[in-house]
Amino acid sequence: MRIVLANIVAIYRRELQSYFASPLAYLVAGIFWLLAGFFFTYLLEVTLVRTAFADSQNYQVPIDSATQLLQGFLGILSSIALFILPILSMGLYAEERKRGTLELLATSPITNWAVAVGKLLAVLTFFATMLLPLLVYEAIAYSSTNPPLSFSVILLGHLGLILLAAAILSLGMFISSLTDSTILAALFTFALILFLWVIDGVGQQIGGPFGDALAHLSLLKHYGNLAQGILDTSSLVLFASYIVLGIFLTAQSVDAFRFQRS
Amino acid sequence: MIEVEHLSKVYGSTTAIADITFAVESGEILGFLGPNGAGKTTTMRILTGYLPATSGTAKVAGYDINTDSMAVRQRIGYLPETPPLYPEMTIEGFLHFVAQIKGISAGDRARQVETAMAKTNLLDRRHTLIRKLSKGYRQRVGIAQAIVHDPPVIILDEPTVGLDPRQIIEVRNLIKNLAGDHTVILSTHILPEVSMTCNRVAIINKGRVVATNTPSELMAQMAGGVGYELEIEGDLHQIQQALHPLPSVKTVEAIAAELPPGFCQVRIASEAGSPLVGKDLAGAIVAAGLGLHEMRRIQVTLEKVFLELTTEEDQAQIPESSPDSSSSPDPTPTASIPAATTEPLAPEEDA
Repeated sequence: MRIVLANIVAIYRRELQSYFASPLAYLVAGIFWLLAGFFFTYLLEVTLVRTAFADSQNYQVPIDSATQLLQGFLGILSSIALFILPILSMGLYAEERKRGTLELLATSPITNWAVAVGKLLAVLTFFATMLLPLLVYEAIAYSSTNPPLSFSVILLGHLGLILLAAAILSLGMFISSLTDSTILAALFTFALILFLWVIDGVGQQIGGPFGDALAHLSLLKHYGNLAQGILDTSSLVLFASYIVLGIFLTAQSVDAFRFQRS
Repeated sequence: MIEVEHLSKVYGSTTAIADITFAVESGEILGFLGPNGAGKTTTMRILTGYLPATSGTAKVAGYDINTDSMAVRQRIGYLPETPPLYPEMTIEGFLHFVAQIKGISAGDRARQVETAMAKTNLLDRRHTLIRKLSKGYRQRVGIAQAIVHDPPVIILDEPTVGLDPRQIIEVRNLIKNLAGDHTVILSTHILPEVSMTCNRVAIINKGRVVATNTPSELMAQMAGGVGYELEIEGDLHQIQQALHPLPSVKTVEAIAAELPPGFCQVRIASEAGSPLVGKDLAGAIVAAGLGLHEMRRIQVTLEKVFLELTTEEDQAQIPESSPDSSSSPDPTPTASIPAATTEPLAPEEDA
């Protein structure tokens, strides 16, 4: 068990190091920050205008604009992540296949799933690091919430964002293990995520038990719950299932790849 | 150390290797020799656990490759055809990573990495990014990652491909130094490499082992003995008269060469099973009153053996090489080609 853990740590560190050494990762992070900053100011303006309007109409119920801003921002972040995450996950295995380093991993005394877990943790860490600077905006907005927004709501919202990212990255990792083209991996991951994003709407269109089942698979719906501060066990289970499924499929596909090589 | 029994690998309808059986003793260097696509890489990949075999078994250091894959992987160092390197890492960082995933404990890691870098002559470039290294250095890093966990078995797939002559000599010396402590299998389609570095050769053709022996015995076995080249003052007829009485002399042929008038160069081949003795030849020449100016022992080369073993019968006449290359003169009986010659038999690389 200790050896497995040491292996996961080894993979994790190498993978994380390669993200921090990669110009593409910095470019992605830069675009992410730019978009996040743009949407934050945009949301701020919208909220301010709306509040001013409410004030001018002398609404009885005071609107907490800071809370609205924070929850709106978490929603926007998840949409930006939809585009950013496939780019982060595309190289996880495709790059190893292209460089031939998968041959090193496959001939080392290390299990496929340990490699997958290490890689997933690394890319998730990189994504979490990308979120850190945004916490400054959020902290400012948070300090002006009135009545003060419960801290657990904010925490839950971010936990939701991390879980959502982990689920997407895990599936993206699986897709990356199917090809040695990073572009293809990114495109297919994006298509899959988009499908899981809108499956909610598709399910509602179909209706009936099958439609309900489809709707339940929706990433957006479950993320929405968590972002609102609603702790729903079924949401946690769904995200955990996506993560485990991704790791499992990755390990299987790398193993199956042994039989296809010529 | 390595026992391979009836190993086969079938891809769809093509058979990559069929019923391969061989064994490698501890501390030996075995050379896998064969044309491109003969099944060298496939065999190596099966031994390292990268590919599953269709049938048959192999044991590495006493562990079965099918049932004890992890134990086998721990005991093998493997250099694939393209060295598996992460370009964004430094040499030292990369070797640390490899040592870690090969299961070297944190306490031993730094020392093992140091030893591997010292053996491959990389100490002065330890902080260089792999991306910035030349082909020769990359190959050395590739070898370093194969030996960093000090495995009993080292498998090298074409370790000298794409290197310049000086680097080739370095890599060969490195491999020779590994023998003894490690058991080494290396594949190559460069013939001189085998006679220079390996204790034993396994010639593979079309997925089958067609011969296994030491390089010198393989040559002796195929050639049926050695021959001599002489430069003599006198005409061919006189020389033949002088030499034919000797029982071991089979043929005496003149070789076209630019010589002063009155001189003649001849090649003498022996009867199979009765070796020529240089002293007898010289004695006969001198007794006949002819002047002996030069005398060289010649030997059949591994190239010729290789071609005989791997060439189809209907093509047998075509690759018959010119006398100069098929029987290059060499004073030593074991090595037959000068160290600098590195003519690959086939220029293309394995698909």
